[in-house]
Amino acid sequence: MMGNKEQLLRDIGIVDFVVTELTLYLDTHPHDRNAMEYFNHYNRMKNQMEREFSQKYYPLSTRLEDCGNEWRWGAAPLPWEGACE
Amino acid sequence: MQDYSCDDQIAKFPVAMAYVPWQKFDRMYDDLEKAYCYGTVFPELNKPFTGRRCV
Repeated sequence: MMGNKEQLLRDIGIVDFVVTELTLYLDTHPHDRNAMEYFNHYNRMKNQMEREFSQKYYPLSTRLEDCGNEWRWGAAPLPWEGACE
Repeated sequence: MQDYSCDDQIAKFPVAMAYVPWQKFDRMYDDLEKAYCYGTVFPELNKPFTGRRCV
């Protein structure tokens, strides 16, 4: 599922959607082991993809900012500046 | 949609109340891109409105 920036951003959005769906199911079925395994799998995948994106391009949230010597969060393109085409 | 009218279980329930069967998860869509477009990862919740009734 990896690719250029737009593709990776879209894939992160899809995996984030899957994690949200499983979260909603687990909210009402907290003991469903099968769903928990799916959740753990896709949640790890999402975190890994977000880390990769922030290393390659820019952090998607301050949680992912590990600014060595540059405040990259501040340099990320802003939605109202066309970053969300 | 299944017809529960002749099911004796449902007969014990008070009338004029809504009952939602409990979702039982067994599998997700394999193609996540398609699930994203459907708006759900659960096949059992994929009920597109067809203008007259749900599928």
